[in-house]
Amino acid sequence: MTSKSISIEMLKNLCQKMFGRSLWVYHANSGGCNGCDIEVLNVLTPFYDAERFGIKLVGSPRHADVMLCQGPAMRATAKALQRAYEAMPAPKLVFAIGSCACGGGIWHDTYSVLGPVEKLLPVNFYIPGCPPRPEAIIYGVAVAVGLVDKKAAPVQFKQIELPIPRYHPNDLRGRDELVVYEKVDRV
Amino acid sequence: MNTPFLLQVLCGLGNAVLILALAPFCEGLLRKLTARIQSRQGPPLRQPYYDLLKLLGKEDLESGEVPGMQRFAVFLSLAVILSLAFLIPMGFFAPLSGAGDVLLVVYLMALSGICTLLAGLAAGSTYSVLGISREMMTMIALEPILAIAIVVGAIHAGSFNLDAALSGSVYRTQGIPWSGLILLGVLLLSFQAFVQRVPFDITEAETEIMEGPLMEYSGPKLALFKYAQMSKLLVYSALFVSLFVPWGNRLPFPLGWAWFWFKVLGIVGLVTVIAATHARYRIDQAIRFFAGLLAVALMALILASYGY
Amino acid sequence: MSVLSKLKEAVICLKAGRVTLPYPSESRPVPARFRGRPLFDPAKCIGCAGCANNCPAREILVEDLCQEIRIIRYLGRRCTYCGRCADVCPEKAITMSPEFENATNHIGDIQQRIELFMSTCQRCGRCFKEPGFLDQLKAKGYRFDDVQHERWILRSQAYLATEPTVDDIKIDLD
Repeated sequence: MTSKSISIEMLKNLCQKMFGRSLWVYHANSGGCNGCDIEVLNVLTPFYDAERFGIKLVGSPRHADVMLCQGPAMRATAKALQRAYEAMPAPKLVFAIGSCACGGGIWHDTYSVLGPVEKLLPVNFYIPGCPPRPEAIIYGVAVAVGLVDKKAAPVQFKQIELPIPRYHPNDLRGRDELVVYEKVDRV
Repeated sequence: MNTPFLLQVLCGLGNAVLILALAPFCEGLLRKLTARIQSRQGPPLRQPYYDLLKLLGKEDLESGEVPGMQRFAVFLSLAVILSLAFLIPMGFFAPLSGAGDVLLVVYLMALSGICTLLAGLAAGSTYSVLGISREMMTMIALEPILAIAIVVGAIHAGSFNLDAALSGSVYRTQGIPWSGLILLGVLLLSFQAFVQRVPFDITEAETEIMEGPLMEYSGPKLALFKYAQMSKLLVYSALFVSLFVPWGNRLPFPLGWAWFWFKVLGIVGLVTVIAATHARYRIDQAIRFFAGLLAVALMALILASYGY
Repeated sequence: MSVLSKLKEAVICLKAGRVTLPYPSESRPVPARFRGRPLFDPAKCIGCAGCANNCPAREILVEDLCQEIRIIRYLGRRCTYCGRCADVCPEKAITMSPEFENATNHIGDIQQRIELFMSTCQRCGRCFKEPGFLDQLKAKGYRFDDVQHERWILRSQAYLATEPTVDDIKIDLD
């Protein structure tokens, strides 16, 4: 009994390890301008060849592991996008490609756009760009699979608080035209 | 042959295991060669093994109209292909030649088409039904061609026994084997349709009907279906080689067996090159093509019955 | 016969060799004037908020925390890499770098945030901020986007409500 469960555990581990080596991709454009569509199509051409990573484009969400979402979440296609997501078998990933899917894009405040795709689906990976270059898309997939390291990191700059001379109305002495500064070094 | 029953079963099992182990490798070879013809790098040769393992690890969603029939169709399709492995001589004698004759082989091949029909009916969506109606039209035009080839072999050999009829017997006439040569040409032209590759893979057309009958399958069942498709390529190639390319079969056991599989790989390479350089035919164009081939095959049957 | 011509075509394609660019290991140089991620140089920024006024996707938020501190925050989510901020900046503090490898699993990773001291007028010593809150709202330069919750506030509507900037339309999805 235990040897059978051990072998089942080993088989499960093997299947999970193979997940990163053969990602089947379903492409869902929910209302974008098709710029990112063309870049995704470029990734499947011989020059950038996505198939060498094992990525294959499938026609049915039931066969897919990864859903590539482009275009913002629109009111008209919201339900269809959610149904396609529910039709995918677990384990599944969602990649948001392009500025529209990551944050609403330049159309974020128009009448039919609900917002970024993460208002409808849990997004696992963001690939910003307008449209992202095919190399950027391949880089995003490579980071998700684990081949390369992530390069984006938040940048923050706080101006160091130096004791700079400040002129404050309280430092003004005198009246009317004979107003003169008496500089006081205060921080 | 009076080989003991246990040896026959073991040989059949060996055949089946070899086909199961080799089928994803042939599919990988097909994808790699297609990629090279398209000037790109292509997936590694072991990619279909990774695909099948990944599909085994996914969740199994039962959906469609009749989930029970979904399960039945998947297991039936793989079972049909593997039972063909028990009947076709692959380098040595036919393993279970006492269990049936060539008509059983013809019916099993028709049954593998019916499995796709069951799978599409179980899904019940518009695309699946469209896919299976096209599959049925193709089958009606296509199965008679293979049946005629096998029956011509049986006519020349004089019996329906598997060993006699399936080992190059289409050429066994006095003088020039006209019917054999005509049938060789006909089957070469229609072989792509039997193994469901471009230009005749109308049922599983990904771009046109979203993979038709297979649309509702996910996870382990999809893995089994893909496995059945890959094995189908090997089994049909083996049948073609044993019918039409028998030269060198009389070599002693290890050499003859290796030579047989070398010929099968050659046929797989030919299928790949034709698949990579052609576009898919529409269903009406395909039916007209098969109707023409069927007429020529009938002519070959008539010639065979007169002894030519 | 068309089959023979197709086989000849296969041989011709095989002569082209392999044209695939092995991307993550090798990359092509980007074209000149390629617009990747904008980089904000805090040493040159004077805090004029010209970039925020001109961004078509409203991705740059500016908030005056107090009399002297102004926060400029660039969220990278909906940036379309158009380059208008770099064009408008009077100090050339924004450059469009050629970096396009911006993929990440957490969208907050692409942001850049600058906190700046705004100086007071050298003649009268007053800061550019009106003492009263209502006067502040009327002043031209005062900015009060909600940097922490990432909401930009329309300056024409002089209310600081808790309303979100994009309408959350409630739809029932079954």
